[in-house]
Amino acid sequence: MPALLEIRDLVKVYPRGTRAIDGISLDIRRGEFVVLIGLSGSGKSTLLRCINRLVEPTSGKVIFDGTDVTLASSRDLRRIRRRIGMIFQQFNLVKRSSVFANVLAGRLGYRSPWRTIASKPSREDVALAFENLERVSILEKAYVRADALSGGQQQRVGIARALMQEPQLMLADEPVASLDPATSHSVLRYLEEINKTDGITVICSLHFLSLARRYATRVIALKAGRVAFDGKPLEIDEHRFKEIYGEDAVEVEIGVTRTAEEKRAADAAVVERLDPAADR
Amino acid sequence: MAEYFTARGLPVPPELRRTPLTDWRRWSLIGLTLAVLYVGVRLLDIDLSRANPDYAGTRILSLLQWDLSILTPQNEFETFWDTAGGLMIITIFLGVVATAISIVFALPLAFLGARNIMTGNAVATGIYGAVRVLFTVMRSIDVLIVVIIFSVIFGLGSAAGVFGLAFHNVGVLGKLYSEAIEGIDPGPPEAITATGATRFQVVWAAVLPQIVNPFVSFSIYRLDANVRLAPVLGFVGGGGIGQFLFQTINLFQYNKAGLIIFLIVITVALMDFASAQIRKRLV
Repeated sequence: MPALLEIRDLVKVYPRGTRAIDGISLDIRRGEFVVLIGLSGSGKSTLLRCINRLVEPTSGKVIFDGTDVTLASSRDLRRIRRRIGMIFQQFNLVKRSSVFANVLAGRLGYRSPWRTIASKPSREDVALAFENLERVSILEKAYVRADALSGGQQQRVGIARALMQEPQLMLADEPVASLDPATSHSVLRYLEEINKTDGITVICSLHFLSLARRYATRVIALKAGRVAFDGKPLEIDEHRFKEIYGEDAVEVEIGVTRTAEEKRAADAAVVERLDPAADR
Repeated sequence: MAEYFTARGLPVPPELRRTPLTDWRRWSLIGLTLAVLYVGVRLLDIDLSRANPDYAGTRILSLLQWDLSILTPQNEFETFWDTAGGLMIITIFLGVVATAISIVFALPLAFLGARNIMTGNAVATGIYGAVRVLFTVMRSIDVLIVVIIFSVIFGLGSAAGVFGLAFHNVGVLGKLYSEAIEGIDPGPPEAITATGATRFQVVWAAVLPQIVNPFVSFSIYRLDANVRLAPVLGFVGGGGIGQFLFQTINLFQYNKAGLIIFLIVITVALMDFASAQIRKRLV
């Protein structure tokens, strides 16, 4: 089967001359959980936004499921976008609207502009909204205003909104950067769940390598707009880490502090998860 | 003290080089201000010799000795709407209707005049620029001048007042509205764009909910200002109670003028109170 997403020689130069993406080529296969790492300004956000053209690439190609995104007309682009969910660091919910209204808005790409203002949401859309709210365990907050929720809850609403699109690909732009460690894990577990259960491919940028090791099936590191590493999470040793983050960088743990033995056990569990056949 | 900096090759802070009392820049600024004021006073030729306290005293007294006859119809041709009370109510509605008209035009134009909505291509940016220039032109002509011009078109009376006031307010509200739109959190529109929604759906679902509050607040603020302005418009041919007040002053009927001014003060005070209350509840 061809890759779900093909990126070819992608370049993005911002009007002020910054080369945010400097020639990236990648193939993302179906079902992968890709984590993007790299310093702030290394191009993670720009790369994610070039995939659904929230940022217009300067040159290169993005091919999603056989369709060239970069050449798509605005109508075709909207059809592509609705198959690609996206969640954000700041959650980007409409704060004054209810959780339910926010989730329902994820369905807008499937509705005509006229129906948006003139008719009630369809029975199917409402049912789907409740189903997705239940999936992220936030059903009881459906009619609460979005800004009354905690950060972790808001991000789950963000996931439910993206799920309304019934996406094949989920882009996550530092989804846990504004959350505490415990909440970070809970949000990433929901992403992991939709990745495994629904087979939705996930591309997620993260700041903590420990989170990347725990959730990723593949880690791609960006440095100054280029791919500095692309491989299995456990292949990133201290040497590689310094290559990506610079000589002075020290790895910080997120989550519970563990002893060396516990860490080895956890890593073994990750290996098993990545390659279930390895130990058998 | 300055040696501390020179010894280390650092620039000496200006505060160390000047003392406030010997700073020639300060003194020259004060001198310039005084010179401007002196020239201004000389040019204005302010003449206090024509002041007449005795005459003014009797006039001001007659402003307080109200002629209550203007509160009731005086002959068979007059109705309640020709009395001071009736005209005051008409004048309030002059402000209300003018505000309503200006909201209807400013609302859609404001989206065309918001930079963050009109992005993406040269046409959109061009429309944005044109709408903003239009707002500035409409706003920069003072209401009284607009009403005078409109009274040439519509003749003396309420039409000139309503449309003149509305015209000016499209410029004011348009600017306030579009700046409110430009000040929204760009996150939600980005997220809705990413779901595959059209530009219109993005505005509907992610921009509108963010601007309802500032829009209502600005509209009430302008309604307040317009009801305040409406009585004056009659002086330049805009109809309403101002026209009546202008007549009484020209005819030296200060007993009537005083009562009309009192009515206007009461109305504006009530309006002030009401709009403060409404805006407080909203926020």
